[in-house]
Amino acid sequence: MEATIEVRGLRKRYGAAVAVDDLSFTAGPGQVTGFVGPNGAGKSTTMRMIMGLDRPDAGTALVGGRPYRSLRTPLCRLGAMLDAAAVHPARRARDHLRWLAHANGLPARRVDEVIELAGLASAARRRAGGFSLGMRQRLGIAAALLGDPPVLMFDEPVNGLDPEGIAWIRGLLRSLAAEGRAVLVSSHLMSELEGGADHLVVIGRGRLIADTSVADLLDAASGGRVELRTAERQGAMTVLARAGATATATGPDAVTVAGLPSERIIALLTGAGVAFSGISAHRATLEEAYMELTRDAVEFQAVTGQGAR
Amino acid sequence: MTAPAPPAGTPYRSAVLAQARDGFGRLLLAEWTKLRTVPRWMLTLLASVLLTVLVALLSAAGTDSTGSGGGDAAPPPTGTFDLGHFTYRPLAGDGSVTARVAAQDGGGAWAKAGLMLRGSAQRGTPYAALMVTPGHGVRLQTGYASGGQGGGAAALPRWLRLTRSGTTVTGYDSPDGRAWHRVGSVRLDGLPERALAGMFVAVPDHVEVQRQFGGESVSGSPGDTRATFDHVSLSPAAPGAAWRDRGTPGGPAADPDADGRTGSGGTFTLKGTGDIGPDEFADDITRTTLTGVLIGQAAVVALAVLFVTAEFRRGMLRTTFAASPRRGRVLAAKAVVAGLAGLGAGLAAALGAVLLAGPVLRSHGMSPPPLSDGAVLRAVLGTAALLGAVAVFSLSVAVIVRRSAPAITIVLLLLLVPQIVATGLPLSAARWLERLTPAAGFAIQHTVPRFDQAIAPWAGFGVLCAYTAAALAAAAWLIRKRDA
Repeated sequence: MEATIEVRGLRKRYGAAVAVDDLSFTAGPGQVTGFVGPNGAGKSTTMRMIMGLDRPDAGTALVGGRPYRSLRTPLCRLGAMLDAAAVHPARRARDHLRWLAHANGLPARRVDEVIELAGLASAARRRAGGFSLGMRQRLGIAAALLGDPPVLMFDEPVNGLDPEGIAWIRGLLRSLAAEGRAVLVSSHLMSELEGGADHLVVIGRGRLIADTSVADLLDAASGGRVELRTAERQGAMTVLARAGATATATGPDAVTVAGLPSERIIALLTGAGVAFSGISAHRATLEEAYMELTRDAVEFQAVTGQGAR
Repeated sequence: MTAPAPPAGTPYRSAVLAQARDGFGRLLLAEWTKLRTVPRWMLTLLASVLLTVLVALLSAAGTDSTGSGGGDAAPPPTGTFDLGHFTYRPLAGDGSVTARVAAQDGGGAWAKAGLMLRGSAQRGTPYAALMVTPGHGVRLQTGYASGGQGGGAAALPRWLRLTRSGTTVTGYDSPDGRAWHRVGSVRLDGLPERALAGMFVAVPDHVEVQRQFGGESVSGSPGDTRATFDHVSLSPAAPGAAWRDRGTPGGPAADPDADGRTGSGGTFTLKGTGDIGPDEFADDITRTTLTGVLIGQAAVVALAVLFVTAEFRRGMLRTTFAASPRRGRVLAAKAVVAGLAGLGAGLAAALGAVLLAGPVLRSHGMSPPPLSDGAVLRAVLGTAALLGAVAVFSLSVAVIVRRSAPAITIVLLLLLVPQIVATGLPLSAARWLERLTPAAGFAIQHTVPRFDQAIAPWAGFGVLCAYTAAALAAAAWLIRKRDA
């Protein structure tokens, strides 16, 4: 069985509001796939449809090639943490994992193993109501790992965590993917995925904006722009604009130039006698790339988003 | 950062997939684990048992026997009458007794005058009675559970005959003493060789029932009746035995104007008070003892509702369906677990109530029937089944409405309001209310037939089960259809 999530033409509307609109993407094995979009973009709805919890109006979502609802022991096919708060507060952490294990006939030792894995050993006998957010996330992750599934799905796993918790989850996701599992992680903050995800599925208003590797996205966002440092900012901008480039002042002695390769810029400035102290290719941050994508999505309803592929 | 190319190695396979099993048994275990591991839910079950038993003890401690206190050493079973006036002689073996009822007055449509044959004069023992009634014709009656068979009208004077053959007693009537018509026959198991046969009169009390919200008051005043018999013959009579009488118990308080025998030659005039047959106004002691279930059930209802709504409220249902996507089976497992929890609590509550209240009632001069009594056993086991059904019903309603407060309110309204409102309605309206609502299930607690019984015990339980099945079916449909 393949460790993938395949979403094809998924659509879901709640009354008049379209939550997910013709969404297709694949989360493949050995990768952490970031599932990014602003709040309300349809990430959670998509995840619920993947798990057969909500019925799509159109399209299919397959886990390892099969619809989730047809899985007999689904905990061994896909582990998910949709909502870390979905635990009865009066139940001990261990008992929560126990009933889950019973439901799929999993051996009792798995409960102890995932408790160990999630670093919950000292809290296993405590009631979930007294857990901090971080411990709840750990319990949710323990539950997702119970069936040792090849596909994992986490909805906003680092939301509200302290830096230490974020680092732990990031490391865990990486190691899970390194074992050959498919890991789908949603977030509304691209920065949370920086250094964590290999692949990105960006959605806005329920539609796909970008389905790309992180490297490609950054290249595209950098867009061949050049960072120029010069004391004669005004002169440089005039020269470059005359040559057809878009020059934007980004600081007292900094100009970002788009539309011309570095060699040409150097030649132009040298020819015009404008002194400059440095020139380098501009590296966009993931956050910048994302902001650009979603700003388009919000303003132009995502039609342009496909271009980022 | 630059993303590494995805490794081309073999995809991951779950290490525990081979050991994983699905099945209804696993689901039951999962749901039971859920129920068991929330301490407040187990306490709720315990509370339901304790409340029921506590109410039984309080009501037992508050009872007082207000009977006349005198009379026979062994009273007839609760809920029956064996009164009136009986004038008898021993009948040696098979034979018959014949008499003509010449006149009957007083006591109303159900006043009884006729012949009776029974093994002993002790109260509550089996008998066969053939009688005329002013309003309900010639009737053959036996036992204490029903008003006998027969009907129509009978003009006086009327000839009556009871014939005994082994354990079978057959009744005949005749307008003239020559052309006899067979009314019917009854079997009296264990009828001794030497049976008692003779004439009797009996009459139900004048009963006035006042019903108001929350309760009823039954007040009765004894009626009296009088009948004249002639052409009395009994053969073969045991030699040397004279006519003897069994009147109304009550010792010195017995009223000679109301009870007794006068007569000369072959004519007898009997006066009597009190009825023979079921006491439709008797206290149902077992049912009263089990009244606390009305309170105990609230805890079971709350538990069954929370068992579902706790999952809805916290999104836990998604975790449940993630682990077992076959929702119908999840609902079935939940229903079985909640039903068994209700059943267990009901059994403990009913047994506790009946067994613990028994000694208290006895110390207050009451005589509660033992647990071994068929009807009492039915009431106790039925109460357990009742709470089991109530739990499943509550759970189904909770799945339908998804929120605790409305679900608990709806279930309690359906179960309690009919019983409270019924006491303030006219009897006919109250009966329909108690037949058609889920509250009919409480009929399973009846142990004696009563005037206000709306529906037979099992039929009433069946009504509740029908409501439960309908709610469960609706819940199953909705839980599959709706997004989790």
